[in-house]
Order: sequence, then structure tokens, then C-alpha cells
Amino acid sequence: MTTTEERPAPAAEPEFERRAERAKAVRGFLQALPSYAYLVFFFAIPLLIVFVFSFASRSRTGKPVLSDWNLDSYAKLLQPVVAEIAARSLWLALLNTVLCLAIGYPFAYWLATRRSARYRAVLLVLVLIPFWSNFLVRTYAWRVLLGEHGFVTELGRALGLWDKLLFTQPAVFIGLLYGYLPFMVLPLYAALERMDWSLVEAARDLYASGWTAFRKVTLPLSRPGVIAGSILVFIPSLGAYVTPDILGGAKTTLLGNYIVRQFTAARNWPFGAALSFVVLVAMLIATIIYFRTDARTI
Amino acid sequence: MTVAVGLHGVTKRFGDVAAVDSVDLEVADGEFFSLLGPSGCGKTTTLRMIAGLEFPTEGSIRIFGEEVALAPPNKRPVNTVFQSYALFPHMTVAENVGFGLAMCKVPDTELRRRVAEAIELVRLGGMEHRRPTQLSGGQQQRVALARALVNRPKVLLLDEPLGALDLKLRQAMQVELKDIQREVGITFVYVTHDQEEALTMSDRIGVMNEGRLLQVGTAEDIYERPANRFVADFIGETNFLEGVIVAEGHVEIGSSHRVRAQTNAPVGTAVTLMLRPEKIQIHRLEEVVDGRNRLEGTVQHRLYFGDSLFYQIELATGDMIDVRVENVPSLPRWDAGQRIAVSFHHDAADALTE
Repeated sequence: MTTTEERPAPAAEPEFERRAERAKAVRGFLQALPSYAYLVFFFAIPLLIVFVFSFASRSRTGKPVLSDWNLDSYAKLLQPVVAEIAARSLWLALLNTVLCLAIGYPFAYWLATRRSARYRAVLLVLVLIPFWSNFLVRTYAWRVLLGEHGFVTELGRALGLWDKLLFTQPAVFIGLLYGYLPFMVLPLYAALERMDWSLVEAARDLYASGWTAFRKVTLPLSRPGVIAGSILVFIPSLGAYVTPDILGGAKTTLLGNYIVRQFTAARNWPFGAALSFVVLVAMLIATIIYFRTDARTI
Repeated sequence: MTVAVGLHGVTKRFGDVAAVDSVDLEVADGEFFSLLGPSGCGKTTTLRMIAGLEFPTEGSIRIFGEEVALAPPNKRPVNTVFQSYALFPHMTVAENVGFGLAMCKVPDTELRRRVAEAIELVRLGGMEHRRPTQLSGGQQQRVALARALVNRPKVLLLDEPLGALDLKLRQAMQVELKDIQREVGITFVYVTHDQEEALTMSDRIGVMNEGRLLQVGTAEDIYERPANRFVADFIGETNFLEGVIVAEGHVEIGSSHRVRAQTNAPVGTAVTLMLRPEKIQIHRLEEVVDGRNRLEGTVQHRLYFGDSLFYQIELATGDMIDVRVENVPSLPRWDAGQRIAVSFHHDAADALTE
């Protein structure tokens, strides 16, 4: 290619292309606009308000005052009671995630391996049925089941497992497990349903036992479901408010209840705001680390 | 002859449907054996039963004399090349190939040496650390082959392994597979619906339809002497002419046209005359045809295929037949509407009684 001859540039075309390009960008922006607006009004602005209030001070009556900016609320986070509540919440959220996984995985696996698509659909609807009634109502139903003469309490008493359940930590735990199990099952089901089962056959054909084939093939390939399910269970468990409020007692305060109390009974908005913000940032960092580690192992 | 794979009275029912219906088959050690048939004929189910991925409802499956009908797949000395390849997407090429050896707890140094050899055998050197998704279809196919062969199975099972490849690559892989089989000397049981693939690669072929094994034989047996009308129709192209035996070795087709044919059937039997398109010649009406069957007809269509010409001819008997003529220099062309005569040797006309 030695000819450097100038070709007459087709003038209209690049202009046309640029315009099409711009129109596409505008169209994309317009399509996303409702979502942007929603996020700005209901997520970014409230978050900003929380952030601002965390530096505010309080009047003598407990009213937040938007002057005398200070870091007192953040200093207060170092109190032992905060650490205790955070540790309890973290423990409960972790335990709930692990148990949801332990119960949800076999169930999702069983669900995904049913031959008939119709049967699968029916079972999936059964998983979703609890969502047809209000979470609050369902939690109150558990209050009956776990109450002094509730079915679950009586059963445990007969078996000698427990004497009292309601307003104890196990009650909160049962409530959390019940509430978040579907959030584990659904992503796991989605991952397992997409599974190419001929890969498991290939592993069996290559001398793997059923269990080894599961460990070496099914489990690694369903990992995205495990990750999604774990995050969907862990994060709301950590911030759970309704369940511990209704089923737990004074000794089972979790982060969610503690934060709410700052805005209500304690009338300490700046402290509540600071705590909310720090929990949010901590969860964000934890999630990022979780994804990163996973990206490396896959 | 050592029997590598022996099937005796093997039946597989799914509900009321017999996917495989009392199949008896013996595959010799070192043989390249193909199961050929249309989709849904039971060939893949048969293969899967040999692999242990399905269990027979009835019957016995032996691999080198050992009964394995109900043994799990990991307890059988066979490996499979799957139609979809079924490569593990979360493992590299080397990890895929080494999977079976790792399962058998082969020592690390030996494992690495054998994996390298297998990858070399399928000419994928340098690809060891790639993921299956980074390979082309043909390369994935080779990985699947290496992953199975590296275990040195007593029998290699292949389920339409070339089905997903384009024509050129498929033809190249056919030759390569055959070479590899010769090199490793392992018994291959190969499932395909592609008759050309089966004819060119196999030592012997078993033709299946509706769960039954209809005929087992060499490519030539099956093409030249099909056991029944299905086999004749499925393998290659064939003309069928209905007729009746009127004298020993003589068949009457239409109302008054008599031809000589290959048959031992007694007089009065209704038969189907099977005639391959390439075994028929076309002549001018006035040309004298000696010692061959001769029928008159009219050319209906002429199709040009490059290497050959295809004529559709309506015979005086009312039957429509196809005739294939090789495209050689100075070949006479017959036009649509032209009256002509066709001729064929009596050896080429097989009278099927079924």
C-alpha cells in the first residue's frame, strides 16, 4: 500500500453517523431517567440527609440542631454497647446465612432436578406463596406459634428442647430463617436450573462418584447462585428490624432496633444517623470484598 | 475374536415406550463400530447404557466379558465423548483432560505426562491453559476426545461427536478420528445419524430404527445388500418398484413389464424391487440393450449437481425413478419430455420381500 492518494471524503456520512450516535445516547438517557430520578430522590438525597445529620448536635430537649457541627456521634460509636449489639447482629446474620444455605441448597437442587416443568413451576409458586401476605402479619403469626402455648413451643417442651421461645434469641433466629429462606432458594434455583447436567454425566463417566461430581462440578458451577443468595440473606438479616422487634426481647436488640430507637425513644438523631451510615459503609466494603475474592477463585 | 462389548436382549423402556427393543450386538476388540439411524431410533440410548448413564430395563451388557448392566458409570472401563462435548467450563484444557486421571488418583508426574501426551495426540499443544469457552468448536471437540482417550479406556463411546461442526471440519475430523483410532487401537462405538460418516469411518455398522437393530454389517454389506426396505431407504438413495414374482428370478412390475432380479422368493410373492440411482443407464429409444433389463420412460426433470446429473424419469409402468449419471466428458444430455429407455443389470435389482 504505497498510494497515499487523497480520496474525496464522503461528507454526509460521518455527520449522519454522529447524529445517530447522539440520538442513541439521548434515547438511552431518557430510558434510564425514571430510574435515575427514583434513585436520586429516594436513595441519594435521603442518604445525604442522614450523612448531614450525623454531624449535627442536639438541643436540650433532644431536637437535632443543624449547627455546631461535630464528630461526637462518631465518637459514641466506640461505646462497648454498640460493639456488643454489632457482634450479636453479625453473628445472627452469619448463622442465618449459613443455615439458609444449608437448608436452601438441597431444596433448590431437588427443585431444579424435577423432570416436569409444570411440577417445578408449582413448587416454585409454593416457595413464593408466603410473599402473598404481609411480612408483618406473618411475623405476628410466628408470635402465636412461638408463644407460651404455641405449637412450636409445646413441641420443643415435649421433646425437652426448650421451655420458652418467644422474646428470646432463638425466636429471633427462627423468624429470620423463616423470613429469608426464599431469598436463598430463588437465586440457587436459578443457578441450578441453568446447569448443564451433561457436565455431571461427564464427571461420572470420568470416574467421579456422585458426591465427587457434585463437589467438583455442580457446586462450583452453582457458585453465582450461592453468592447472590448469601448476599440477599446476609444484608437484610444484619439490618433486620421487624423480626427482632416482634419476636425478640430486651436482651436481643439488634442493629436495626438500636438504630430505630435512636430516632424514637432516645431522641438522638445524630447518633442514629452516624450508626446507619457506618453500617452502610461496612456492608458495602464487605460486599465488595466478597465479590472480589470470588472473582479471583472462579 | 475377542468381544469388547456384548449386548444381549437389551431393552430400555421409558414408561410404555421401548426406546431400545431387545438389541443383541457384539462389537469386536479394536473395531470401529457405528450405530446409525434417524433421531429417536434408540442409538444414543444404547450408547448411554454402555456408558452407564442409563440402565437397561432388561438384558445383559458385558464389557470384555464383565457384566456391567447395572454398574454406575464410574465403575466401567469406558469413556464417552459427548455430543455437546460437556467440557467443564470452570477448568482449563489441561484440567479437563486430567480430570479422569485425577479421579483415579494417578500420581502427579504421571498425570502431567499423560495429559501432555493426550493434548499432543489431538494436536492442541500450547492450549493447555485456555478455558473451553476460548476455543473453537473443532478445538473443543479435540479436548473432549483427549479427555476421554487419556484414561486409556477399553472402549471409547462417541455420541455424534462431529454433529456440531461445519462440513469441511467434519470431513477433516473424520479422517483424524479414524487415524487416532488406528493409532491407539481402542474399540470405538460411534453413534451417528450421518450415513456418509458411518460408511466412510466404520469397520462395521449397525442400523437402528424404532429401538430395533435392523442390520449389522460392513458398509458394503449394508449398501449393496440391505436387509429390508428401511435400511435400503435410509442408506443412500434408492428407487423402489412394487412387483410380483412371476417366475424364478423374474419380477413383473406394472401390468406387463418383466425384469430379472436378485431373488429366491417363490412365484406369486409380492416384492419391492430396490434399485440404486447410479446403477441405472439411460439410452436412446432405438439403442439395443444386451443382457440387461430394459424399460421405457419419459424424462420429467433434469437436475445439475456439478459432479453428476440427476434425472427423474416416469417409466412406462407408471413408476417414478431417479437416475444419477456421473458427469463425464461428452455425456449426452436428456431433456425433459424426451422419451428414452433405461437399463440395469439384474444383479443391481434386489427384490425385498418385506
